[in-house]
Amino acid sequence: MQSSLQLSNIHRSFSAIHALKGVDFEVGSGEIMGLVGENGAGKSTLVKIISGFDDEYIGTYRFNGKPVRFPTPARAERAGIAVAQQEISLIPSMSVAENISLVGDHVPVIATKRALGKRANRFLEEVGLGNVDPHMATNRLSIGEQQLVEVARLLSHEPQVLIFDEPTAALGESDSQRILGMVKRLAANGKSVVYVSHRLDEIFEICDRITVLRDGEGQEPRKTSELNVHSLVELMLGRELTNMFPAHAPVTGRKPLLEVNELWPDGALEPFSFNALPGEILGLAGQLGSGSGDVLSAIAGARRSRTGTITFGGRSFLPKSPKEAIAAGIAYCSDDRKLDGLFLGRPIRENMTSPALSAIARFGLLTLPGERRLARGNAEKFTVDVERLGNEVGLMSGGNQQKVALGKWLAIRPKVMLVNEPTRGVDVGARAEIYRILRDLADGGAAIVFASTDLQEMVGLADRIVTFYRGMQIGEIQFEDISATKILEQITQPFGAAHAAQASGT
Amino acid sequence: MTGRTISGVHNRALALIDRWVQKYSALVVVLVAAFLVVFIYGMVTAPNFLTVFNFKTIIRDAALVGIMAIGLTFVTLSGNFFLLSMKETAALCIIAFATSMSLGYGFPISFLFTMAIALLAGAMQGLLIGLGGNPIVVTLGAAGLFFGLGSWWSDNLVLSFRRPHGAEWLGTGSLFGLPNITIAFILIAIAAEMTLRYTTFGRQVYLIGANRAAGKATGHENLSMAIKVCIIASVCSAFVAVAFSAQVSSAHVNYFSSEFGSSGDMTIMVIATVMVGGNSIMGGFGSTLRSSLGAIFISTVDNMMVLHGFNSGPRVLAVGLMIVFSIIVFALLRRGSRALE
Repeated sequence: MQSSLQLSNIHRSFSAIHALKGVDFEVGSGEIMGLVGENGAGKSTLVKIISGFDDEYIGTYRFNGKPVRFPTPARAERAGIAVAQQEISLIPSMSVAENISLVGDHVPVIATKRALGKRANRFLEEVGLGNVDPHMATNRLSIGEQQLVEVARLLSHEPQVLIFDEPTAALGESDSQRILGMVKRLAANGKSVVYVSHRLDEIFEICDRITVLRDGEGQEPRKTSELNVHSLVELMLGRELTNMFPAHAPVTGRKPLLEVNELWPDGALEPFSFNALPGEILGLAGQLGSGSGDVLSAIAGARRSRTGTITFGGRSFLPKSPKEAIAAGIAYCSDDRKLDGLFLGRPIRENMTSPALSAIARFGLLTLPGERRLARGNAEKFTVDVERLGNEVGLMSGGNQQKVALGKWLAIRPKVMLVNEPTRGVDVGARAEIYRILRDLADGGAAIVFASTDLQEMVGLADRIVTFYRGMQIGEIQFEDISATKILEQITQPFGAAHAAQASGT
Repeated sequence: MTGRTISGVHNRALALIDRWVQKYSALVVVLVAAFLVVFIYGMVTAPNFLTVFNFKTIIRDAALVGIMAIGLTFVTLSGNFFLLSMKETAALCIIAFATSMSLGYGFPISFLFTMAIALLAGAMQGLLIGLGGNPIVVTLGAAGLFFGLGSWWSDNLVLSFRRPHGAEWLGTGSLFGLPNITIAFILIAIAAEMTLRYTTFGRQVYLIGANRAAGKATGHENLSMAIKVCIIASVCSAFVAVAFSAQVSSAHVNYFSSEFGSSGDMTIMVIATVMVGGNSIMGGFGSTLRSSLGAIFISTVDNMMVLHGFNSGPRVLAVGLMIVFSIIVFALLRRGSRALE
């Protein structure tokens, strides 16, 4: 296969850190090349170099056989290399067609709406949005559809190479499938695709070959057919990952630690009721918008509820603020660590102790040795480098940030830990550690309740599952019945499933 | 041979600077360097600059603005922007103090009375900001309210009270040759910095300032924080009003608007001081120590310009340039440190 993009012996250093140590990388035309590795392995750095965001590297970069160097992203784009970013950069109030023709070489200076619509239609069809009216305002589309429009816009520049950096990180199952379908179609039409993702199931589904980066070192690209999940993870980690999910057994015969009684979070269609036992990890399964995450924030007082209470520690109440929940021993980690999980500009140490200042203070005075001890202890549990406790959290990789966002809650010794999307945007290694710690907490007698749109995680981690669909509570799946198909049934087409359950149950 | 020695010294100096930059953050180093440049320039060009008397003058001039800036720094660090009512709070308080003094209540009662008013003024603004009011709108409104009350109360006249009034020690007194107001500045600066570093409250200031949503999620709410920091800023304003009134034995609502310092507007001088010190305008990063140094820096530059015979126009211009310069340096350095992201 003729390679359209070829980088060889690429080095890149940031002051003391050697981020890429002689990496080779190539993509053939019509090929989908997977790029995988742990957080901090150098994937983003490599993507930045390919797409012209980073020009300060050493090594050769050939495009269609000719040596090139792109000082700016605009130059790379003009040459035919486009990146679909994780963040959507469409202008929400403009129409789909206008967004697609925002910039580019072939955009007429003066154009009627009709002309723009016609131009847009071609690219919309290519990404599988042929049924969308190009004159519709962009903000009326779902997030997944907006992501597709973003790709349509890239296609309007007629790129030869397309780079996707975690395109499905924020998407639910059905939107993810649309993206994957589109990527396959693009490759079939002769485009070269670089696909970066943490979701290994996707990598195996669509990639022809896979390049693994580890600690800034590249490895020979391998054919997907020669690999399986196990061997790929081993390549990424450089060691064998015996078990992603810690072993667990069903928890029964205990009195509930937390009872949720007719709790009706704002935005849900009906009130929810369920309970969590001590020592148990309860999974709330549901797609985006199903309400599975909302109920967690409602329990923690971070979201308003219309009615309902929780029964916990011998009393029935509903926290009006996270402060009240924390005082009761309930920790809540949201799905957006940058929004409300971390103090990015502050040191790791201060993040680690932020919910438990009273534990390290006497008469309002902080005891700094006490703080160091607490931060160090919890950092060690999460294998966060204790030498870096004084560094800003914002400088860490995504996986380490998530470990801090979660790890800070150990400081209050929570009896109930609520986690929304425990491992979003987190690499395999860090992911396994997070699962282990949640399991340890549960084994210590806490109740863990987590919501996730990741099926693999739901199946592997949960002891019991409550399912949600579009703001309604659907059913409960016991330990021995947990399987991906069963969950999928209940969270995607529950009314068929619920009837079936009723028929077979009782 | 000599060449090698010189380059050795040179390298060692560079290594030293490098270590400092890592230890004290580049911004502080830049500030200190800027200060040294001004200092040496002043020493070379103005013969009166390097005298003990002149240094005392510089610090005394820095004291009043500095104390207010320390108070305001709490507001800025906690992510609640600025109080645009600093000088109007001082105006209302100076009238309250002078009225009470001229009625013969004596210093302690007048002082407490003034502080009580400042406390109310701060709590009111803090409550509105904490409930979600825009700090600019709230404090501009409060500024009008306080100034209006002050002029109404004083009929827009100069109120004076007769010496001895029992407050001379604060206004003009000194200890071991240092003016008491300078000593007060130093003590307040130390107390404020200690509070930020070593108390739960100080830590909350930084956390809420760095990310208000994460602050709420970890149990630190901005409502009580906004009230507390606004009270601190107001009380610092009131303290400056009392000290100034004690110095001149009189009061007028315009003392902090037109006749004060070089730039003529106390609020702008105080905000400039916080900015020149290199505190993040978005909150979460900075310290009162930086504001104190900022006050001394501005005062030094101003003093030198006075010695060179500049009148107020160019001096105001210089303050403006310092703000712009510090904001640019701050932005560049912050971006530099994020290169790895």
